[in-house]
Amino acid sequence: MAEDRKSRPAGSDAPGPDLRDERDQFLKKFTRGARLTEDFLREVEELHNRLRDLERENAGLRAKVQADEAVRELLSKIDLLEQEKRELLKRFHSVEAVNSEFTLRVQEVESEFANLANLFVASNQLHSSLSPRGVTRRIKEVLAQLVGAERYCMYLANAEGTELVPIAHEGVPGSELAPVPIQGSRLGETLCSGAAAVSDGDPTQGTLAAPAAVIPLSVDEKVVGVIAIFSTLAQKNRFDTVDFELFKLLGQHAAAALVSASLFATTDRKLPGLEAFLDLSV
Amino acid sequence: MAEYSCLIVEDSPMMRQLLVFALARVRNLRVTEADDGVDGLRKLASARYDIIVTDINMPIMDGLKLVKRVRSDPIHKDTPIVIITTEGSQEDRQRALQLGANAYITKPIQAPQVIATVKELLKID
Repeated sequence: MAEDRKSRPAGSDAPGPDLRDERDQFLKKFTRGARLTEDFLREVEELHNRLRDLERENAGLRAKVQADEAVRELLSKIDLLEQEKRELLKRFHSVEAVNSEFTLRVQEVESEFANLANLFVASNQLHSSLSPRGVTRRIKEVLAQLVGAERYCMYLANAEGTELVPIAHEGVPGSELAPVPIQGSRLGETLCSGAAAVSDGDPTQGTLAAPAAVIPLSVDEKVVGVIAIFSTLAQKNRFDTVDFELFKLLGQHAAAALVSASLFATTDRKLPGLEAFLDLSV
Repeated sequence: MAEYSCLIVEDSPMMRQLLVFALARVRNLRVTEADDGVDGLRKLASARYDIIVTDINMPIMDGLKLVKRVRSDPIHKDTPIVIITTEGSQEDRQRALQLGANAYITKPIQAPQVIATVKELLKID
């Protein structure tokens, strides 16, 4: 220091060259330190920014992961719902099948009921009269209203068993109807065989020579006559199951009803006394 | 549940019986029978009916005359009428519908068809 003072010119405040160097070095160091501090601060700032970015990125990723989880959850829910839908559809189809089967069955039952009602009404009507005219009228009504016959005739065999004699008819002039020989005629064939003969063709187109249907009439298992349906109403273009049942019913009941009505008429419509029924116990 | 009333006008006891059987299958339908058009009108004058089922060919007053009379009756002018007949021609059908019938069924009747027609006109499921 004493040397420093010695090296400075007397009366001057200016530092000596050593101090200047020292100051310069200090300033240089300080400047460098300041620059380093600035760099450090800048770096810190950058790191802060980077940290913020990372935090933001991290938050975004976390949100994305959460969203992905929600999507996964939704997808699994969709899978479950799809499965449930498949199950429900399966059940729906099976219930639908049962339902259509049930509907079909109901239709069958309704149709069967209608057929039975037809047969009941026909049978009920055939036996609701005890006059030969009344029974004949009812037979004609069954043929016209239930079977849909337009032109028809009921024949009974004569006592000799050689001819079928027309006893009631509809839609055909009486002049066109004559006794039919049993031998060699279609009506006679039915009488002999005891089985109804139904034409395969359109029943509306039947004729006197080729009737649409010939039904044998029995009394106590003996065929005593026939009903010939020559043709049917225009709208009745085929015979259905119920028609065949009606043919059977007419075959078994029409002649019996007619015979019992005739017998009742011959007794002057007198009911048999109780004694007539006393020996019936079996 | 609503109750409906039906008037059957038919001269044939057998057809009446058959129609009664068929219409018994319609739930809540009360059926009344009339022998011919005049009897039908008498019954229509004393009660209100929701539907009329009538034959065409009847003695005393036929079904078409009955349809005309019903359509001019202020109480039953809008009552649905079903015609049941053996006549199957298009002209007969047209004539009945022109007179005011709502439906036309040809004999021999099929019970399911009668039931379906009556249900449709009464708007019953």
